[in-house]
Amino acid sequence: MSLGGFDVQVLRENGFATEEMTLNMGPQHPSTHGVLRFVVRADGEVMTEAVPDVGYLHRSIEKIAEKVGYHGFMPYTDRVDYVAAMPCNQGWAMVCEKLAGIEVPRRAEYCRVIACEFNRISSHLIAVGTMGMDIGAFTPFTHALREREHINDLLEELCGARLTFNYMRIGGVAWDLPPDFAEKGLAYIDRFEPLIDEYNALISFNKIYKERLINVAVITGEEAINYNLVGPNLRGSGVDFDVRRDIPYSIYPELQFDVPVGHGEEGTLGDCFDRYMVRIREIQESCKIIRQCLQQIPEGSVLAKIPRKFKPPVGDAYVRIESARGDMGWYCVSDGSEYPYRVKVRTGSFTATSIIEQVSRGLMIADLITVVASFDLVAPEIDR
Amino acid sequence: MAGYFSNIQETVTSIFEGMSITFSHFVRRPYTVQYPDRIPIPIQDTLPFRYRGILEVDLEICTGCLACERACPIDCIVIEAKKDKQTKAMMLNRFDIDIAKCMYCGLCSEPCPTGSIHHTSQFEGADYSLESMLRRFVKTPVAAYKPSKGPETDPEIVPFLDRGLRYLDDFAKPGGSSEPGEADAS
Repeated sequence: MSLGGFDVQVLRENGFATEEMTLNMGPQHPSTHGVLRFVVRADGEVMTEAVPDVGYLHRSIEKIAEKVGYHGFMPYTDRVDYVAAMPCNQGWAMVCEKLAGIEVPRRAEYCRVIACEFNRISSHLIAVGTMGMDIGAFTPFTHALREREHINDLLEELCGARLTFNYMRIGGVAWDLPPDFAEKGLAYIDRFEPLIDEYNALISFNKIYKERLINVAVITGEEAINYNLVGPNLRGSGVDFDVRRDIPYSIYPELQFDVPVGHGEEGTLGDCFDRYMVRIREIQESCKIIRQCLQQIPEGSVLAKIPRKFKPPVGDAYVRIESARGDMGWYCVSDGSEYPYRVKVRTGSFTATSIIEQVSRGLMIADLITVVASFDLVAPEIDR
Repeated sequence: MAGYFSNIQETVTSIFEGMSITFSHFVRRPYTVQYPDRIPIPIQDTLPFRYRGILEVDLEICTGCLACERACPIDCIVIEAKKDKQTKAMMLNRFDIDIAKCMYCGLCSEPCPTGSIHHTSQFEGADYSLESMLRRFVKTPVAAYKPSKGPETDPEIVPFLDRGLRYLDDFAKPGGSSEPGEADAS
């Protein structure tokens, strides 16, 4: 086994008595993106195993849904994935609408997509920013967070909160776009798009940075499908699948956008760099979507008439949406009462955690940080 | 060997490319805001109208309908409203909001008919004890507001009602033709 010119096997044969050590990384660790623990068995710098230990952020959100009812659960969906809360809002609203067969006003669908795509940009900015910070480049993180602040300001004007939005309601959205939102949003997108190239020049094509990402934790397309990876992680392995395009929902079929897929531009297909670049490209695609939406948003109401005591008929529904972390599934069983009988949330981070044990075998300990950052894990989304 | 030197060359050039961007920020306008003491106006005044800060109740226009208490998903609002047997008026004996529990979702201010319960732009609520987080709005039992048929005439209530209704128009009721589902279907 050879890694970076460092041959572990030779040292053993020369008579060194080595033994594997078990390290504990986390739960409180700045690079694990939340409360996530890894039990690492390492031979020197080289890991033989890294087992993720999840559950430190379990808040039984699915059970809470059974206690607070359909309307009251909306603020809790923000907490499922606080980095990208808008898609979670949309997932819950959509599953309730599917249960009760509610038609959402056109303007509300546009508001939802605009909010979701802004949130996707801010989530990906966190992902690519922390990627640099985990590897040791702090400056790009501040650049990414600076741009995210502007998106947070826009979303704050839209819904009054910067992180836990609680913007969507069953049957539409809570508030219409503020009067000058379209101009501000377009002005921001115009200013932001050239900054992506600046960001790429700053860090993405930096040789040292690339060396840390290329050919690390290679996942083939088949492996990604077997391990149920979703979203940018799946597309980084070259599998061309996006829920927004392939299982269309909301107004996405009417919008023009590409689905960026990794193609091994620097090293092997499916390495950390491919997953990273897919996110950078998705930011650009989201800018395209927002521009189209803000230009063609129709007039009208933003909320369908929904009774305050929302009682969907007996039955179950499952919706799939493309969250910032990929295919997110919302399943809800209704028994005809005011409270859902069962809610299940299927998230992308949880499935991405399962492959870490397999891909981290034989990597350096420092590369585990890269792997975790490249999957864009968000710990509350793993545990819910 | 050629690869070795080209690697060095690529490393150095890409570092200088990134560094030029970093150094260009020396001549750009700084983004940092020195919160909280070196800002020209209080940050609360710069927040958008929809900002969801600490909850506040105008008891003058509270009707005691308990809509906010029912809407709250974490039961941080506790209201005791009773009809006085002699005067037949709705009396508010208790109106507590546990700010420590509140998650600022805004679901309570949406069903309020007069805009009595509303979010302010205040967000600095740090305190030394949990008890002080429990905001008790009713000091002594007061009569709940009874909406008059015509326009409000009481000069003491008009400013509160004006503010409340403006809040409802801008915050709680989305723009457009349809109102949010106020009607109880049950």
